[in-house]
This record gives sequence, C-alpha cells and structure tokens, in this order.
Amino acid sequence: MPARQTNLLQGTLDLLILKTLALQELHGLGISHRIAQITNGTFQVKPGSLFPALHRMEEAGWLASSWGESENSRRAKYYRLTAAGRRHLQAEADEWQRISIAMASALQAT
Amino acid sequence: MPLLSRLSSLRRNLLGKPRVERDLDAELRAYLEQLKDEKIRSGMPRSEARRAALLELGGMEQVKEEVRGIRMGTMLETLFQDVRYGVRTLRKNPGFTGAAVLALALGIGANSAMFSVVYGILLRPLPYADADRVAMVYMQFSPQNFERGTMCIADYLDWKAQNHAFQEPSIFSIQRMDLAGMGEPEQVQGALVTAGFFSTLEVRPMAGRVFLPGEDGAGSGSTAVLSESLWRRRFSASRAAIGQTISVNGSAATIIGVMPGAFRFPRANTELWTNLRIVPPARRGPFFYRGVGRLKPGVTIELAQAETNAIGRRIMQENQYYKNLTLPVERLRDSIVGNVRTPLLVLIGAVGLVLLIAVVNVANLMLARATTREREMALRLGLGASRGRLVRQLLTESILLAIAGGVAGLAVSYGSIQLLRSWNPGNLPLIEYVRLDGPALGFMLLTAVITGMAFGLAPALQGQRANLNSTLKEGGRGATAGSTGRHTRAVLAISEIALSLMLTVGAGLLLRSLARLERVTGGFAARPHEILIASVSPSDRKYDEAPAFRRLYDQMLERASVLPGVAAAALSDSLPPDWQSDADTFVIEGQVLGHGELNPAVSVAIISPEYFRTMRIPLLKGRYFTDQDRQDSPPVTIVSDSFARRFFPNQDPIGKRIKQSGPDNQAPFMEIAGVVGDVKYTGLQRDTDAAYYVPYRQNFGRRMFVVARSSQGAALAPALRREVQAADPGVTITQVETMQQAFSRAVARPRFDTLLLAVFAGIAVLLAAVGIYGIIAYSVAQRTHEIGVRMALGAAQGSVLRMVIRQGAGLAAMGVAVGLAGAFALTRLLSTLLFGVSATDPLTFVAAALGLLLVAVAASLVPARRATRISPVDALRYE
Repeated sequence: MPARQTNLLQGTLDLLILKTLALQELHGLGISHRIAQITNGTFQVKPGSLFPALHRMEEAGWLASSWGESENSRRAKYYRLTAAGRRHLQAEADEWQRISIAMASALQAT
Repeated sequence: MPLLSRLSSLRRNLLGKPRVERDLDAELRAYLEQLKDEKIRSGMPRSEARRAALLELGGMEQVKEEVRGIRMGTMLETLFQDVRYGVRTLRKNPGFTGAAVLALALGIGANSAMFSVVYGILLRPLPYADADRVAMVYMQFSPQNFERGTMCIADYLDWKAQNHAFQEPSIFSIQRMDLAGMGEPEQVQGALVTAGFFSTLEVRPMAGRVFLPGEDGAGSGSTAVLSESLWRRRFSASRAAIGQTISVNGSAATIIGVMPGAFRFPRANTELWTNLRIVPPARRGPFFYRGVGRLKPGVTIELAQAETNAIGRRIMQENQYYKNLTLPVERLRDSIVGNVRTPLLVLIGAVGLVLLIAVVNVANLMLARATTREREMALRLGLGASRGRLVRQLLTESILLAIAGGVAGLAVSYGSIQLLRSWNPGNLPLIEYVRLDGPALGFMLLTAVITGMAFGLAPALQGQRANLNSTLKEGGRGATAGSTGRHTRAVLAISEIALSLMLTVGAGLLLRSLARLERVTGGFAARPHEILIASVSPSDRKYDEAPAFRRLYDQMLERASVLPGVAAAALSDSLPPDWQSDADTFVIEGQVLGHGELNPAVSVAIISPEYFRTMRIPLLKGRYFTDQDRQDSPPVTIVSDSFARRFFPNQDPIGKRIKQSGPDNQAPFMEIAGVVGDVKYTGLQRDTDAAYYVPYRQNFGRRMFVVARSSQGAALAPALRREVQAADPGVTITQVETMQQAFSRAVARPRFDTLLLAVFAGIAVLLAAVGIYGIIAYSVAQRTHEIGVRMALGAAQGSVLRMVIRQGAGLAAMGVAVGLAGAFALTRLLSTLLFGVSATDPLTFVAAALGLLLVAVAASLVPARRATRISPVDALRYE
C-alpha cells in the first residue's frame, strides 16, 4: 500500500471500525469480515493495519476490549464502542459527509 | 468506560509490560486460529490452512511491533496533551501558581541545600583510602576529664608496646608554628607527627617524600612536609623547595615533601607537618598528643576499644595519678564531625518539617482549587472523559508544579550553598566538600517528584470521588459543596500550624539559649569592644631565655601603654573567653594527700601587674600584683573566687601558700596575696572558673598577649600593631582584634545553628499563615451567600467578623494543641545544643503558642474584613 494513501485511509479505517462496532461487539476477524461485507469487498483490512488501529482506538478511549468466546468456542478478544467512541463516530460521520459532499461538488465543478 | 478498567489499562501500559505483551500475543494467536478454522471449513487441508493463515496475517512480529508503536505513541500524545493543558491552566492562575511554586521552591531548595551540607560533611567518603578503618585514640582521665583528651609521650609508649589492634599507632599534636627563613615571617597551623602518621592515613605526597620509619627517633634530624597551599604560596610550587631549610619555631628544618591539597588533617587548615622526636620522658606529661591508627585487617573497632581499655587499666595501675583512665577509640569521621552531627541532624529534621509544611500548603491550595474546579471536572466527565484521565490530568498538573518548584528550588539551594561556603560562620569541618552535585541533584529530583505526587494525590482522589450529578446540580451554589473537602483542608491547616509550632518552639529555645550565652560575661567589667588584643609570637630562639624574653615584652608593654588613647595595657598568656594557655595541678602547703593523689588541674595565667586593672577584674580580697613582685622578691600568687571557695572553704586564703604541679616540684611555695573575681578561660559554656595567677616577672611563658584598653576600640588596632611590631620586626603578630570579636567567634557556631533554625521556623510560620489565610478566604468566598443572608437578617458587621475569626482561631487552637505535644516530644533532641535553658522551657512554649495563635488570627483578619463588606443585596443577587 503506498504511503500516501495510508493517512487518508487511517481516518477511513477508524470510521469503518467504529461503524461496524456500532451495532454489536466483535472480535478482530469479525471486524475485518464485517468491513469487507458492508463495503462490498472494497476494503480488505489486513491484520497489519487492523490491530494497530484497534489498539490505538482503545488507548484513545473509543473502544473497550474483553476476552470472550468465539462462535466455534475459541477464546477471542472482543471490542465494543465506549460512550466516547459513539460520540466520536457521530462527529466523524458528520465530518465525512461534509467532506464527501464538498469533494463531490468540487470534482463536478468545471 | 468504568474507571477501574481505564486505570488498569494505564497501569498495564506503564508497569505491566509483560502482561500487555502476553495479551497481545494471545489476541493474535486467537485470530490466527480463527482464520485457520475458517479456511478448514472452506475445505482447505489442515496443513495448508495454517500456512495460508500465517501468510495472511503478514508476520506475527511485524504486527506486534506496529501495535507497540501505536500504544507508545498515543500514550505520549495524551501525556503531551496533559502537559500542555496543565501549563495553560497554571498560567491562567498566576496567583495560585506563584504561591505554590514559591512554597515549593523554599521547601525543596532549603532541603537540598541542607542535604548537600549533610551529605558533604556526614556521608561523603573521606579522601583517605579505607578511611573507615582509621580511628582516633584519646585519653580521658580524672582529674582532667576532657572528653577527647590528650595523652603524653609515656602513655603513647605504653600503648604502642602493648598494641595488637592497630597497624602502626601514631600520635600527633596540633600547634601554631612560626615560619621564618624565607622572607616575611608568618604563623601557620602545624602538626607535630610521628613517622607512621602519613602511612596510617595511606596518603602519598605530590612531591618529595614523607617521614621514613624511625624518623621520629630521638636523634633524627628535623624535617618538614608542606601543604600544597603553603608550597604554592611560599615557594611558587617549585620543586627546588625540597631540600631547602626553613625555620620552624626558631629551629631549622629540612623540607622533604609536599602533601596534595585534598589532605587536610588533623585540621582543615594544617599547612605544615614536622616530625615529632620521641624522647623517653622522665615523667608523665605534658599531655599534648592524640593517637591515630589504622585497624589491622579483621580487627573491629570494638575489639580495638577492648584492647585499649585493658591497656588503660594497666597504665592506671602503674600510675597512681590517673583516676578513671580510659583510652576511647573513635572512627576518624566521627572525630572530625563529632560535635556538628547533632546540630546538623536537628537542622535537617527541621528543614524536612519545612518541606512537609510546604507540601501540605500546596495540597491545601490544590484542594481549594479542585473544589472551584468541580464544575469543570463534572463537565468533562459528562462529556465522556474517563475519571482515570482526569486523575492523570490532575497528577500531571501537580508534578508540573513540583518540577517548577524544583527548578526554582535549585536556584534557592545553589544560592544558599554558595552563601554557606563563603561565609561558613559555624566553622563547619569539611565544608569544602559541600556542593550541589550528583547525589544532591538526585535527591532534589526525587523530592520534587515525590512531593508532586503527595500533594497532587489528595485533590486527585477527591476529584475522582466527586459525584457527577450532585456536583453539576449544586455547582453554582458553593454553600454546601465539598464538605469532605473542607474537612480535609481543615486537617491540613491544623497540621501546618502544629508543624510550624514545633519549629518555632525549637528556634525559640535556641534563641533563648543564644541570648543567655551572649549575656555571659567573661568575668571582667571592661567593655569588650574597648579591649584590644594583640597575639604575639616571638619565633626567634633567643627569646627562649628569660631576660631577652622579658626585655621584648617589657618594651612592647611600654610602647602600648604610652600609645595615645590607651587607658591601660597589660600582658597575659591567658584570656577570656577560651584562651587557656596552661592548666596544671598544684599542692597546698601542709595539705595531706593520699599516695598518688593530686588536686585537680586548674587554669594558670601568667600576667603583668596591670592585667586586672586593664580588664577591670574585681579585687575581692588582699591586693593586686605590683611592680614590686619581682624575681628577687618572695613568690606570690592571686587566686580566683572559685579557687578560694573550693580549696579554702571557710578559711581566709590570704597568706596561704601553694605551688604548681606535683610534690616533686622543687620550686618554692607562692603566697596567696589576693582573691579576684572569676574569669572564663575555658569557654563561655563551661562553669569551672578555678584559676590562679602568677606575676610574669617571677615566671616565664613563651607566648603572651598584649592587652590594651581604649575607648577608641578597634580604631586603635593598626596603631597598636605598629607599636608592638616596633619592639622587634622579626616577631610574628598573628592578629590584633577586640575582645568583642573574640567573643562573637566563640558564639559563632551556636549563632549559626540558631540563625538557620530561626530562618526555617520563619518560613514555616509564613507558610502556615498563607495556609490559614487561604482556607479562611476560600471559606468566606464559599459562604458569601450565607453571610449575605445573615446580614440581610440583621447580623452586625462585628458579629460576622467574630464568626470568621473564630473559625481561623479554632483551627489555630487545635493546631497549637497538637504542636505543643509534638514540640514537647521533639525538643529533647535539642537539649545538647542548649545553654542555660531547659528543653521544655515553659516561657518559650507559651510565647511560641501565643505567637502562632496571633499569626493565625491576623491571617484570618483579611478575609474576615472582606466578609463584613459583603453587601446582602449583591450576595443574594449573585445566586
């Protein structure tokens, strides 16, 4: 992945993770599957990006984690949104809407 | 997120590194297993699935590394955030920040300065190899009873012959030495030492050599070792100095070596060591020598003490003169710092209390501020900040404060150490080793961080307890806010008062003791600033003969007496407050003493007839000496009042006859011609004043003082020096000073201790006053509404004033009660430093308690007056 894209993608990845966790708590693999699912396969999140993002967001207080049991009864670490994470998701989503509308209109302008 | 889990995440990152690692490892492994399961479910063979999963993960270690980096990064980022925010809030409250930093700077600065002093003097290793194995050996016996007493050559030979504990027993004596034969004569601090002296201390000369074994034999030549300072001063550090001959106390000595500047023993200012030549003596005495030795490997100091005890007993058996003889052994460092240890420990304890008060004060300020910030905190909690984050924020703020205080304290401490070193009013030993270096800086940093945690923790914990709902609801009206906080603050204020009372009582006791000491007169009625003393030391050998000696001093006395402005002049070899030139035993004619029994040693002073009139020492009976008491007239003496009372109780001493030293003394008896008032010759704090005087025309001393009384005082000093010097330009005049200067030198140490303790107590009281002021002012601000209502309902200004002051006085009263109890328990540690005052002196206790109460009331007066000016209308509208 080219470095130039990473910065752009970081915000995107955060937003996607927050979004996937908004509905239910998930473990790492679940999150990457769910992201692939809701973006129709546009984003395939690799563990090398996913785990650093999860830990960073946990440090920032947006996520909380706990150990639980996965569907096929394996130990797995589950992540869920905190109150701060929920607010952050709201703010980021609004911001994203604003930017994407602005970008779209900018690109359509002649 | 629950506070606990948030805090534990912080703790995990900071402390539980291995646990974080294990957790991360487990998480990634679980992920891998899940991925593998999935692949197997989709039909991949088991072995293939594992490889594919690993490939997709992209390397376990890389992922871990990325996660670690991220965690560290966010931690630092929040830290920077906290620091930035902390700096901003601190800068927004310059009053609070200034007060807190000042309190901390004083507390931390004073502490690290004191620590540097204690470290430099008590803890730093001495600059001698294995200095812990070097010990001093003294001799203590009745009737002398000097704590670190001296021995004579015969005792040394006995000790050396029976010694097994020390490698090479050495002795030395300290004396001022007259140096001549190389330009301007001068007097330096010197030491006469045996040949093993330098090897005992394991020090090497920087040039030349030290004394060889056997160079302390009776027939060996006279040799001298110079200090580096003397070598540089007199020989410009030239190697050619070695082998040259100088005159030491009038006899020739060959320079053999130079000791490096770091070697400062037995005195810090010793500049010249000459070889002591041991001549087996005819009798016991004179007692000039102290022993020093290095313990043999495996020998403990206790073992050495046991051996010298046994040797002491044998010496005592053979010599009936000694009673209760012991040879105390003491470690070198203890002997160097012996009498400053207690004052230093007292001072470091005191300065520790100051720091404690500073911390309590800042904690109090922080608490008061935390209460006003309750709304801010509640708001932030409401907006989703975790409580752990808030605690971290508060702690960051307090550590920032502590560090600012520490940096300011560094300046305070550096300044005070410079001042102490250049001033050194207390003649502290080893002061040259006192500086702000590694250990002191480490101590300071540690103090700053610990104090930061200490005063940050209380408000942080309290803030954390704060209930979100109630705080937001009652936020506007402070009247009921934080009753637990108010309680904590009251306790803190009470402890501040208690601690500063203890310091004040301690300082008060020392002050009273100093005042007593300064009121001690030497026993003479002349004004101390009108008495001029010229210390004269004739180094030339020709003055060893009595006629030449008398001619010299007669001439000096004559010149001094006719000097315009001089009312009276005299000679004496002893002077108050502590120049006792000789103490010896004596016998009374007709006195029957048991075998080997002697009268105790008393001061003996050789004086010219005018001495008593010059000093205005009162004549109680009989007569003063006159010019008729000459060599060819019957020998006479004058005794002090104490002497007369002690040895001639209920008798008239006039006409009785005594003579110096033992019964084997062939000198004729001296008739007591008069009794004069007691004079202190052995120090202001001693009360043994028994002394007798002999006329200088019938006796012979080697060095005498020229004493002159003049209303011009110190202004006459240069003229007196000129006149005395004119008698012989080759004579050393060490100094000319007033009696007042001599007295103030004698009380310099106690004054130094007292001054420091008083400064500490002053800081403490100031801090306590600020503390009381802060708490009362805060409470008045909180109760604005209530006071407004009271006044609206008709409360008089006076009653409001009384109400507020009563609150301050109440706190102070409790603090004083606790403090008095503490002081009562603690001041006994001071008792060895006190003179003429009991450690539980009621006057000091009462005065200090009243003083602190007064300060507390004064501190609450300002906010109390503010309370009376509250306008009921405004107070009510304010809500």
